[in-house]
Formats: sequence, structure tokens, C-alpha cells
Amino acid sequence: MGPQPDLVAGTRDADAGVARALDLTAPAAVPPTIDPPVDYDTGRELAQIAPPIAWWIGQMQQSPRLVEERLVWFWHDHFATGLQKVRVPYLMWQQHLLVRQHATGNFATLLKAISRDPAMLVYLDGVSSTARDRNENFGREVMELFTLGRGNYGEQDVVEAARSFTGWVVNLPGRPGTRALPNPAWTSTFIPARFDAGTKTLLGTTGNLDMDGALDVLLGQDATAIQIASKLYWALVGTRPPDKTATRLGRVFRDAGYEVMPLVEAIVADPAFLADAAVGAKARSPIEKLVGLIQAVPLASAAVGPVGPRAGNALRTLGYVPFVPPNVAGFPEGTGLLGPHQLVHAFDLLSVYPSRPTVPATVAALLERFALVDVSDRTRTVLAREDDPARRLALVLASPEFAVV
Amino acid sequence: MNGDGGLPRLDEVAYSRRRFLTGAGVVAGAVVAGRVVDVWGRPLAAGATVGRARPPAKGRTVVFVELAGGNDAIDTVIPYADPAYRTLRPTLAVDAPIDLDGAAGLHPNLTTLGVRYRAGQVAVVEGVGYPDNDLSHFASLANWWTAQPGAPGTTGWLGRYLDATVGFDDPLAGVVVGPGPSPALLGARSFATSISDASGLRPRTPSWLTGADDLLDRWARMGDARAGRHLLEDQVRRAIALTAEARGDLDRMLDGSTTADDTTVDQRAYAGGSTAVEAFDVAARLVTSHRPPKVVYVTNLGDYDTHQGQAQRRPALMADLDAGLDRFLTIVEAAGVADKVIVMTLSEFGRRAHENGSGTDHGNAGSHFVIGTKVKGGRYGQPTSLANLDSRGNLPFAVDFRDLYATALGWLDTDPESILGKGFHPQAILA
Repeated sequence: MGPQPDLVAGTRDADAGVARALDLTAPAAVPPTIDPPVDYDTGRELAQIAPPIAWWIGQMQQSPRLVEERLVWFWHDHFATGLQKVRVPYLMWQQHLLVRQHATGNFATLLKAISRDPAMLVYLDGVSSTARDRNENFGREVMELFTLGRGNYGEQDVVEAARSFTGWVVNLPGRPGTRALPNPAWTSTFIPARFDAGTKTLLGTTGNLDMDGALDVLLGQDATAIQIASKLYWALVGTRPPDKTATRLGRVFRDAGYEVMPLVEAIVADPAFLADAAVGAKARSPIEKLVGLIQAVPLASAAVGPVGPRAGNALRTLGYVPFVPPNVAGFPEGTGLLGPHQLVHAFDLLSVYPSRPTVPATVAALLERFALVDVSDRTRTVLAREDDPARRLALVLASPEFAVV
Repeated sequence: MNGDGGLPRLDEVAYSRRRFLTGAGVVAGAVVAGRVVDVWGRPLAAGATVGRARPPAKGRTVVFVELAGGNDAIDTVIPYADPAYRTLRPTLAVDAPIDLDGAAGLHPNLTTLGVRYRAGQVAVVEGVGYPDNDLSHFASLANWWTAQPGAPGTTGWLGRYLDATVGFDDPLAGVVVGPGPSPALLGARSFATSISDASGLRPRTPSWLTGADDLLDRWARMGDARAGRHLLEDQVRRAIALTAEARGDLDRMLDGSTTADDTTVDQRAYAGGSTAVEAFDVAARLVTSHRPPKVVYVTNLGDYDTHQGQAQRRPALMADLDAGLDRFLTIVEAAGVADKVIVMTLSEFGRRAHENGSGTDHGNAGSHFVIGTKVKGGRYGQPTSLANLDSRGNLPFAVDFRDLYATALGWLDTDPESILGKGFHPQAILA
């Protein structure tokens, strides 16, 4: 997911680079696990999430399965779920493992799995939505953000979708005010007595729709495929697709039965992907900056872990702690990342190094590590006049050139 | 371009292939209307001055308080005497509101606000909203940010205000206190600053990095004016120059003190940022400084989206808000500038009158406060009536939120029409 300098140097041309990026033959790393908590009280020990985050950032830094890490972050952001509300790191990490399992697989499968994922059921209030007391939160967001996009459904569709999603619960052992459930702790299950079994009409389809029934209706809409394809195009290319391209990619996605990799391949085959017009068109996110930084200048000791508490604080300041998106729309993007706050606190990311790192001695070698090849004369001059390599590292990290991608 | 060091033939092809290997565009959050806009707008005219110091301002300030998630109006200004209240809120009804007039009362945890209400310094405006609210957080927040419901533009309404009044000259005329920039202050020819705490725009660098101030001076000199595909990079360069300049000024405004902490990734890291009191403390320092901003915009005061757990969450939210407002107003009063400031609350919508069992779903109109010594206290707008709900069981809107905005713009001596378009008028709530 970042500029792995050794890979860049060893790649001969664009086609080889793309092929390498899409190569999934290397075995996937085995993720760490969090032990299931004894009860809800002990399950809310937030520090439990720190080691998995550190492992994840390590994957971003060095996984040989490049496209997988890109897609894991993409889906994490797409199906944004906040630890602030879910409270239980174990559930958040279980969701991560689910996302990781399906990241390069099938979107329809992932959507259905996420919809009954315990963390999502808690985050968007599925657990408190019943036939009698319907909660519209998930019904609305699944259409606005996860599938169709705004303008492709009406208020009544929100109601009908929410009715279809009723009946799901999560066993949160020891959570005050919750009754005993038949399913294992920390899993979700469907309780027919809580389900609205009446007839629903969602986007013109009438029937006794349940969760999968309603999701199939949403997946049957062209707008869903176009929405996801456009968003992935923006993530990979850096510009918005023209309408014609978005429609074409949406068709590719649907024809592939919502398999993700054929869509990725269609996007990278688009001439825009390799066009210079898209280079530097997009703001580099704080997590991309952090990963780029530790790829350029690796941490001295693996024992320290790729992201210590101080780097965690930097990500917090920048609003980019994994599992803590500001809201269900996901992490900030684009030019919202270019304000004074974001620019000045880019320096904070240096805290990832507990002590003075070993930085390449020449400006040229340093820029090479960052894969920055088109650097302005003034930036080169400022760097050349700075004698301390560690301070040069700070300047590159916060430079205008590294702020875009 | 020529290769550098050990990386030969970094030609255009190599440059292009970087696209994938460097992970362009890993982030793709959903597009929030109003955010997908060029923060820096049109490039500065050649030779334009930036960061020009402005004289100490004697002007007025508006402090906006964004209660994101949808503040429950019925649990803020409580229609406790309404016969339907306990029917619609069987588990959530509040027992001892702070009585306003025998018909409605403030949430019992809005203690100091109640005291200021009785002192005639709080306008309670009920029925605030806009036509055809579709009840989506993001659509509705975008509408409040852009003040252009139905056809959200590309700039925030306060960004347009800053465009029209200060332009690029003063990045500290609008300051967001929160985790990041607010789309409300996104301008085309101006920019606002956002700070998360009293450390202002000071980076938190590790101790092994020496000479941070000198480093920031050098930082401000990086980058060339480059056009074409470097447009965004060039805008970053300009932004960096302005940021470096604003930084020192901001330090003086915040009185050189800092609450920057070096704590480990703790509970706070995941709790959504600073508490209301901390945020309002920073707002008070700005407003009582030698050059108070025209606009302070306080965000991230907790999650008001109380679909569930409302009986536990709302009392804490209200207590926190009250403590924050009290901190702010107490400092401002002690500094003798209370008559220069008004405070106005905002939220994207109210909540459903009928509870859902443990909380409330998205509703329509909200109740808001305008607070200050120059405010004519009392109840305004459409008094909350539970007999008068719309077809979905929501309080109907009666006062367009843009009329509240017009009130704020009037306070700032700015013609509302130039910012909001025709048809919106200041409410008669300021002395």
C-alpha cells in the first residue's frame, strides 16, 4: 500500500509494476487475534486494539500482497465502524478479519457478512431494531453510503429496508440491560420474534423481505455497482471517473457478479490510471504518510513495533486512528486534508521513531526512498542547505511534494 | 527528468508506474457534499501578500456550537406540560426540568444555562429547520454547512463570509476548535484554521528532533510555483506559507500556554477528542485574546445521535455542554468582553417525538440557543407542541436555520443576502 522502495527500484516498466501490484500468489500473513473477552466489562479495555493496529500498519508497510492491503483499507473506510460506539476491541478486530477475508473477493458476500457483523450491528443500531421499535439507522446508511448512493432511493425505501433488517441481535455477555441469548457470546443471531414479517416494497420489489432479500434488491440496482466502482476508481486513480467510465465500470462489476478483482483490473486498464494527469491530483492521507515514512526509513528495531503510542497520538491528532473514523462516512479525504492543522501536524508522525533514526546521508538517496522523483528546485535547495539528515527527513515528510500523491 | 542517485531512468514511464506501487489514493471516504472542493480555491493572484498582520480587532465574535448527530429538541427544551409528553416518551421522560414558563423547561442538567436564561441572556429558538429535510446526517449536515439545502454548493457559508471579508489575508479570522477543518468554513478565497487544543498550530515533534522553530522557517520556504499537474502541490505550498505565519500569531492569542499532552494512546484517543470544557476553554482564550476571531466554530462535543441508550447518554451530554458553556461565558464575562460575543448552537436535525424503546430516531426541527449579554432572552419560534407533529411523527420546522445565520451575520455587520441569498432575515433577538 505504500512506496516499497525496493520494489520500485526492482520493477522495469509500468506493466510489470501493475502486474506486481496485483500479484496475490504470496501467502497471506496470519493476523494476530484478540482473545474473546470474559464479559462486556473487561471487553471494553481499549488498549487491546493497539497491538492489532500495529500489526496492520506493519502489513501496510511490507505485505507482498500490495493490492490486498489497499483493498483492506478501502473496505475498512467504506464500511466505517467506530470503536467510539462499539466499545469492544475484540468485535472491531473480528470485523477487520472479516474485511481482510473478503477484501479481494466478492462485494456481495462482504456486504451480506458486514450487515450481520456484530460490530456493525452495534454501530448502526441493528441490535435495537425490532418489528415494534424499528431503528432506521442501518437501513438509511446502507443505501446512502454502502450501496446505492444518494438520490437513488426515497424515504419510504428507508422505512422498508429498516423493516427488512429487523430481528438481529448480538450476544454481549454481561452488558447491562440485555437478556440472555441462545447464540455464543460475541456473535450475532436472528431472532424471528423480533423480525417484522410483513410485506415490504423496496425499490419496486414486493415481498416478505429479510436482510439478504433486501440486500439482494440493493445489489440488483445498477446504481450500487456504479457507486462502488466510482469510489474504487477514485481510490486507485486519484481523480473522479467521467460518467461514461463509471457506467462502464459498473457494468463490468455486475457482469463479474460483484467479484472485486475484475473491477480492479478494469480500473487499472483504464488509460487514466497511468496518465500523468492523475499524478499528484490527490491529497496524501495521514495513514499513507505514516506508511510512506516507515517504508522510506524503517524503524531500527522490529521489537518496538511499527506504531508506538506516540505515533498513535499523532494519528489521533490527524484524525486517522484506524477503527476510529470520525463518522460513518469514513475518514477525511481530498483537500480536507490540506488545511493548516493537517499540514503542520504531519511533523508529529516523526514520533514513530523513539530515537533518532538512521537516515540516508544524501538528499538524493533520501528522496529516492520516498519515491519522490519530481521535486521542485526550491525544495531541493532547502533540503541541500540542511546539514542534519534527520531534520531533512522531517522536511521531506512535511513537504508540498509529499503532501500529494 | 533525470534519475537521482541509485535510481536510474526515472523517466515518465517510471513516474507513471509509481502510481500503483506507491499506493496512490488509499483513502476513499464517502463524499460529503461541500467537502469535495478545492480548499485553497483559485490560486492567489501573482504578488498577493499573504499573512499580512491585521490591527488588533475590536470587533465582534460569533461562537458556533455544533451538536453533531441530531440533538433531541424534545429533551433539550422539554414540553413537560404537554399531555402527550409521557405517552411519546414512556421511558425517556425527564422528571424535573428547569422550568421556563410553566409550559416548557430546560433539561435538568443545563443548570447554568437556566441561570443565564433567568438573567435574560438566553434566546431559546424552537422549530428550527428547513423544508424537506431527508433526515440523513450527511445530507442535512451538508445543508447546514453550505446553507444551500437541496442544491449544496461547493463552499461553506462561513467560508463565503470569510471570502467576502478577509480573504487569504487572515487565516485566524475563522478558527475551528475540533479534530479537523469544518466544511462550514470552507471558502474559495480564504481559509480557516482548525486547532484541537491550546497547543494551536505547534507540531508535537519528538525530542530527538532539534530546533523545531528553525525547521518550520525552512518548511515555509519549500516548493516552487508550479502549474499544470502540480496545481494541488502548489496550493499546498501556499497553504504552508500561510500556516507558518499564522502559527506564531496563534501562539500569542492562546497566551503561550499549552495543554499538549504526551500521554500514551489512552482512553481519550478513542473517546472522540477533548471534552466540551476543554474545547470551550480554548474558544474563550481565542475570544479574549488581543485579536479575537470573527468566527469560532466548536465541533466534536460528543455523539448526539442517540438511537439507543438515550436515558444514559443524554444527561451526560447535557451536563457536559452546560459545563463547557459555563466555562466559556465565565471567562468571557471576567475579561469584560461579554458584550462582544454571541454563542449559537447548531445541529443537523431534531429527533423523533416517539421514542423507539431505548432512544430516538432522526427527526425534523430542532431547538437552539442564542446566548449572550446582548441577547434578548425568551422563547422564540414555534413553541414545541406534541399535538402538532408531521406525518412521520416529527416536530415540524417553523424557523429556517438560515434566519439564525442571518442573525449571526447581522451581528457581524455583514449583509446576510450577500452570503445566504435572498429571503433570510435576522431574528429580532439581539438588543
